[in-house]
Amino acid sequence: MALALSVSDLRVVAAGGRTLLDIPALDLPPGAALGIRGPSGAGKTTFLHAVAGLIDRSAGRIAWGDTDLAALSAGARARFRAGNVGMIFQDFLLFDELTALDNAAIPALFAPRGRRAGLREAARANLARLGLTDPVRDVSTFSGGERQRVSVARALANRPAIVLADEPTAALHREAADRLIADLVSVARDGNRTLVAVSHDPRLLDAMDRVLTIEDGRPAERQAA
Amino acid sequence: MRDLWLGLPVLAQDLLLLLALLLPLGLIGLAVLRGFAPAPLVRAMLWRFRWANALFVLLIAVSVGLGIGLLAQERGLRAGTAQAADKFDMIVSAPGSEITMMMAAVYLQPTSVPLVPGDTYAEIADHPSVRIAAPLAFGDSHDGAPIVGTTAPFVAHLSDGALDGRAFGAEGEAVIGARVPLALGARLEPAHGTGDAAEHGAHEGTEFTVVGRMAPLGNPWDNAILVPVESVWATHGLASGHAPDSPTQLGPPFDARYFPGTPAIVVKADSLAATYGLRSQFDQRADTMAFFPGTVLTRLYTVMGDVRQAMSVMAVVTQGLVALSVMVGLMILTRLFRRNMALLRALGAPGRFVFATVWSYAATLLVSGAVLGLAVGQVATLVLSRVVSARTDIAIAAPLGWPEIHAAAGFTSLAAALALLPALTVLRQPIIAGLRA
Ligand SMILES: Nc1ncnc2c1ncn2[C@@H]1O[C@H](COP(=O)(O)OP(=O)(O)OP(=O)(O)O)[C@@H](O)[C@H]1O
Ligand SMILES: [Mg+2]
Repeated sequence: MALALSVSDLRVVAAGGRTLLDIPALDLPPGAALGIRGPSGAGKTTFLHAVAGLIDRSAGRIAWGDTDLAALSAGARARFRAGNVGMIFQDFLLFDELTALDNAAIPALFAPRGRRAGLREAARANLARLGLTDPVRDVSTFSGGERQRVSVARALANRPAIVLADEPTAALHREAADRLIADLVSVARDGNRTLVAVSHDPRLLDAMDRVLTIEDGRPAERQAA
Repeated sequence: MRDLWLGLPVLAQDLLLLLALLLPLGLIGLAVLRGFAPAPLVRAMLWRFRWANALFVLLIAVSVGLGIGLLAQERGLRAGTAQAADKFDMIVSAPGSEITMMMAAVYLQPTSVPLVPGDTYAEIADHPSVRIAAPLAFGDSHDGAPIVGTTAPFVAHLSDGALDGRAFGAEGEAVIGARVPLALGARLEPAHGTGDAAEHGAHEGTEFTVVGRMAPLGNPWDNAILVPVESVWATHGLASGHAPDSPTQLGPPFDARYFPGTPAIVVKADSLAATYGLRSQFDQRADTMAFFPGTVLTRLYTVMGDVRQAMSVMAVVTQGLVALSVMVGLMILTRLFRRNMALLRALGAPGRFVFATVWSYAATLLVSGAVLGLAVGQVATLVLSRVVSARTDIAIAAPLGWPEIHAAAGFTSLAAALALLPALTVLRQPIIAGLRA
């Protein structure tokens, strides 16, 4: 189930011609956890978007298992994400007006009819596992740490082989951040999921198998491996 | 095909037209939503900006409501004026303006017009196919209600016999319209003239007793006091219409030699053919004209129809501008959801799902606006009808009918098509730009 990541000659060039990302080669074994760090504006988010298949104009190869995202159409990339990728964002990006369960089950809304009930059940189980015992409360009443856990539950609803997180602890205070790191690592480990997490948070980076530093769009000289 | 359509009952035609007008909405909805269930997201979007959304719905409702309200009102006005003229098959008067004459005789808005002399009246009244030839006498009023002198047979014709009490049978008796605030048995003294110019006390000593009240007619006669025409003539010192040797006679036949003249004769003939015959006979003379109020109204409507067409063009332009601002508003509103929509696509939602979500949101606002617009239109016509009725005494019922429902349905379908546009723009925005927004 786990997917390996194999990136080669990945280049993302902005409309103005500036090179935002230039990754000659990167390989990650299935089920591994990769941390990404680097100064602000270095291209970390751009990298995450690229491996999620969100960037339309990217050259090179972004392969998850046998699937090269760079060679796929936007629609095919969306289908790949729906089936294989869970995403987590710094500011959660929840629908405040919906309950925790409805938020965590959003992927069910556009899934094939036959899979909707299963996705909703998975969302409910994920919330329980993450310690959110009141899934029918509006998320607007949740604390920051709880909201981020709802967004983790949402990312896991489709039982993804890949989890991508962009600064997931940046909006959380220490205690909540630590809990989230533990949750993130355990759901990745237990599900044999490949995890890529962009972060400045040393504790998060410490929990990763490997850390890549990006500077000015390029991998910095080998540091942690 | 055309025959088939025309052969259908009217209700079936209206229903089918309604379905046809709603069909685009249904088809678009079906095509857009097939396989998706974005309802929870749409509800969240509606709730998040509820005030802006409500304002939006209100704007659409008011513009739709005023449009269909005027449509209904115009129809009601036609029906009301036509119904008010129902009892006036034909009018014979001295030559002049038919519209002025119609306004005077049917809608009781008298102006001074030349009179038809007694021998002409006799000619009409003695015609074998004429059943009623009622002279009218205007000029007096009581407490704002015009006093109209006429004959008992005309009162019976006007009221269709629906009379509380009885018709007048002697001078000094009066029959009142349904809205005259007097009781049976009440006594009233006429004032000379009408409206603000009425002179009280000019007819000292003349008095009428109310002996009957007509059921509501829905026209200005509801507000009138009907008395024997002889009484009006007598009050003004004119001949009584009858030879001096029969001073108590009331109503027809009149004696041409003692007939003071009448501004208009309301004629009712035996048959439609007879009515047409009479018209050509009296319309082609130098001293009279004869016309059908119904025909004059139809001509009036034709003229009004041109005005209405011009108004429709303006209405369409206005609606177009409203639709345009609605579009711009929707674009702005949907921008507020940019990040949410980008999130959905980052989660792998197909473009069509995001499209369906935005379209549902926009369509909900537009359809709610159209439905609420029907209610606004209903209230608008109610208020307009009241105002127009109060000013003209013409009963106007302008309930929303099929044309208005069709208009609202057409607007809804058009709006559903328009709502595709903001959905499309959302789809064209790059996902990462949305995520970074
Ligand atoms: N569409 C774009 N056009 C031009 N430049 C862009 C575009 N999108 C991002 N950039 C630039 O690319 C660079 C990398 O952006 P990115 O968001 O990946 O940085 P980051 O490493 O995630 O920074 P941070 O730690 O502040 O989040 C930045 O300098 C940014 O301004
Ligand atoms: Mg970033």
